[in-house]
Amino acid sequence: MSLKSYSRARAVHVMLVYTGGCNGCDIEIVNCIFSPKYDAEQYKVFLTWNPREADVLVVTGPVTKHNEKPLIEIYNAIPEPKAVIAAGACALMGGVYKNIHGDIPSEEIAGPVDNIIPVDAKVPGCAVRPEDILSGVVAALPLLLDAK
Amino acid sequence: MNKDNKITDRKVIETEVTMGTVHSAAIEPYRVRLFVEDEMVRDAEITIGINHRGVERIMEGLPVEKANSLTEKICGICSNSHIWNSCLVAEKAIGIDVPERAQYIRVIMEELERLHSHMLYLAHGNEVLGHETFAMRLFYIRETVMELLRMIGGNRVQYGASIIGGVRPRCELDEMRIQKIREGMDLTEEKITEFAERFVSDPMIMSRITGVGTLTQKMAIRLDASGPTLRSTGVEKDLRTVMEAYDPFEFDVITQDDGDVKSNLLVRVFEIFEAIKIIRQALNNLPDGKITNRSWEMQDAPITKSYIEVPRGTLYHSYALEDGRVRNSIVRTPSVANIGAMQYAAVGHHITDAQLAIVQCDPCFTCTDRAIQIIKI
Amino acid sequence: MTAVNSLIAVIGTLIVALLVSVWLPGIERKFVQARIQQRVGPPISSAGIMAPIKFFFKETIKPNSPMPRLYNALPIISILSIVFILLFIMPQLYIFAALTSIIAIIGLLKIEEVIYMFMGSLSKSVMSLKMPFPDIVKGAKHPDTPRSFLEELSSLRAFRLIAFGSFPLYIALFVPVAMSKSIYLSGIVAYQQIHGPVLFTLAGMLGAVVFFIGYMILLNEYPFAILKTKADVIEGPLMEYAAKYRAYVYLTRGLLMFVLASLFTTLFLGIPPNLFSWNILVTIGVALIFPILMAVMSAFSPIFTYKQFYPTVAGVSFIGILAIIFSFL
Repeated sequence: MSLKSYSRARAVHVMLVYTGGCNGCDIEIVNCIFSPKYDAEQYKVFLTWNPREADVLVVTGPVTKHNEKPLIEIYNAIPEPKAVIAAGACALMGGVYKNIHGDIPSEEIAGPVDNIIPVDAKVPGCAVRPEDILSGVVAALPLLLDAK
Repeated sequence: MNKDNKITDRKVIETEVTMGTVHSAAIEPYRVRLFVEDEMVRDAEITIGINHRGVERIMEGLPVEKANSLTEKICGICSNSHIWNSCLVAEKAIGIDVPERAQYIRVIMEELERLHSHMLYLAHGNEVLGHETFAMRLFYIRETVMELLRMIGGNRVQYGASIIGGVRPRCELDEMRIQKIREGMDLTEEKITEFAERFVSDPMIMSRITGVGTLTQKMAIRLDASGPTLRSTGVEKDLRTVMEAYDPFEFDVITQDDGDVKSNLLVRVFEIFEAIKIIRQALNNLPDGKITNRSWEMQDAPITKSYIEVPRGTLYHSYALEDGRVRNSIVRTPSVANIGAMQYAAVGHHITDAQLAIVQCDPCFTCTDRAIQIIKI
Repeated sequence: MTAVNSLIAVIGTLIVALLVSVWLPGIERKFVQARIQQRVGPPISSAGIMAPIKFFFKETIKPNSPMPRLYNALPIISILSIVFILLFIMPQLYIFAALTSIIAIIGLLKIEEVIYMFMGSLSKSVMSLKMPFPDIVKGAKHPDTPRSFLEELSSLRAFRLIAFGSFPLYIALFVPVAMSKSIYLSGIVAYQQIHGPVLFTLAGMLGAVVFFIGYMILLNEYPFAILKTKADVIEGPLMEYAAKYRAYVYLTRGLLMFVLASLFTTLFLGIPPNLFSWNILVTIGVALIFPILMAVMSAFSPIFTYKQFYPTVAGVSFIGILAIIFSFL
């Protein structure tokens, strides 16, 4: 194992972006980082709020119209190699806002995250469980380890 | 400076500082523009509408059971409140009797939600203050309540306990569950007492939060604030005293006098103790009987309104029923007015304190983003 | 022969400084913060060693700045000024009399503080004003005020900190000078060989407390972290650093912790960092104790705004002046 992939596996910086969901997934992810019961730092996952420092981007929420451009700007600001994780039913397929089959569909959603930026790992749930987020981050790691 | 009219003098504003949709102190997307002079805030503008997903538009024409479960997804923190109020509208419109045991279980779920919401507010407030140790302790204490919610409802967030006519069959409380709830309440009470004593006796934290973000009583009434934000300025108004579901219970209405961040925090800490008291009363006097009433017929009904008291203030739902489907639904949450009131509370402080002043009203921006029609300026 | 010995001592001490300083952030995170917050915490090597190495292997991007090359060069200037502080307190260099005095040390520390101001005014990141959002629309408040970035706010705060935040450290640096009546480091060390360490006198103990508070302010640790609070400026002047420049920023912090601790042992204990004697272990010991004490104090306090910052600095400076007066008695 080269120094490059060893060091990439031992310090992972994660950034969160909330794009207009109901906030349930966001609180569960904050639980993951800030709660001593699920402490993510013991798995060498650190939280950061700066896209220039991040490796992994975790996106929740169906992307509303006002949040589309900020999401693209933040994605472009992260240096390579990077991975994107879409967490929650809203980020995966629009959740109830696109799929409850009402007579009049909503026009405020710019689509699930897949329509806007490329996604590497998908974590289902409504709301997503903290244990699943950590497995999702770990599952996205092999993409980072040997990238150029 | 006369605190009642914080009028801005246009010549005094030097520059504008924006904190954007994605920010480290915001757990939801919102936009704040602060107009400052030498790091002191002279005016503020909070923009909502970023989370607008068109929920009322989707609800138009949905069958009423599906519409109820859609309202639950409006907010992840106060989800039980929305679905309870939505079911109350249908029950009032058609005239359905809810069994007494179901009323008690609904009250228990609402008070458990009040517990977890207030603890989340305290943890977030500590995080904005910069005190990560206390934030982590509070998240740890909150886990007990989340486990209880998962035991009763099946999910930690969005547990969907109420249905039209009562409570879901899964949320039945048997001996083992009642015993677990009692133990959870004892543990929470002990830990929150310990935390509150440590918090109040720390001079650094107290000097940070006293006198910051003051909202006077006159401004709070004029701007139609509600809930703990209004009670922290000294007005004793709590809708739970007139709600039919809370008739059998005895509890105090908590008020504080100053309207600043310290009063807001203390009101919520004391409300945690009151919620534990209500849950214990409900467990001791739980009546027997069924928990769902399935003997009702769907009818058409005109627009019916319902107001309840949720952890943040007064919640309003209304819709009409036509052929089993929902028409003309309106949802109005307390954060609409509370957030507007915070534009006044943030003025006159340093920028870091202004951020604390905006968070002090426990804003829930995802609840708030409906279409708002202004009737009169 | 002695010139070669001196060269080996100098380079060896620099290597020891680098090796010890990469473990300091990890020890701070695991053994102090995590234990106080009742959780497990990351492995010791992750925060201090593995993170900078990982950043070296990331893609180099051009920062959003009006002068990107100057912006990228600033952490290197910062590292160089810290390395020069370490060089000047080594006993092998005391022959350069004028450079190894308190005046030179204070000048180099000043460079360290002024750099934050430059970083803040040159950084224009996407998380502050450049976030695309329709703000100036019909009905917006005050549409014609000039708009500033969050990093400029941080640079204004750095300016204020230069003006008053550096008092405690500088007053504490003058306590050994007042006792030994010499501004040259060789004179201060020689005085303590004869009369015993400055730390074991009343003036020395007060001076050590004031030095510790000044140490925390220079490192921007909670509660004095108004330059980089998460509550409003996110990360402050360091927002646009990515890839290897961010690795330099990480290394600067550990190195500064070590160098300030060895400055303390030289001035207050009379033991300069000398590779050829066992006293180097005392330097390393103090370099491990200071971050642990600092982490314990910072885990239990919120961030101070100016309302609390001014009285704290005033009170601590007053204690420092008392210490200088006692040293004359």
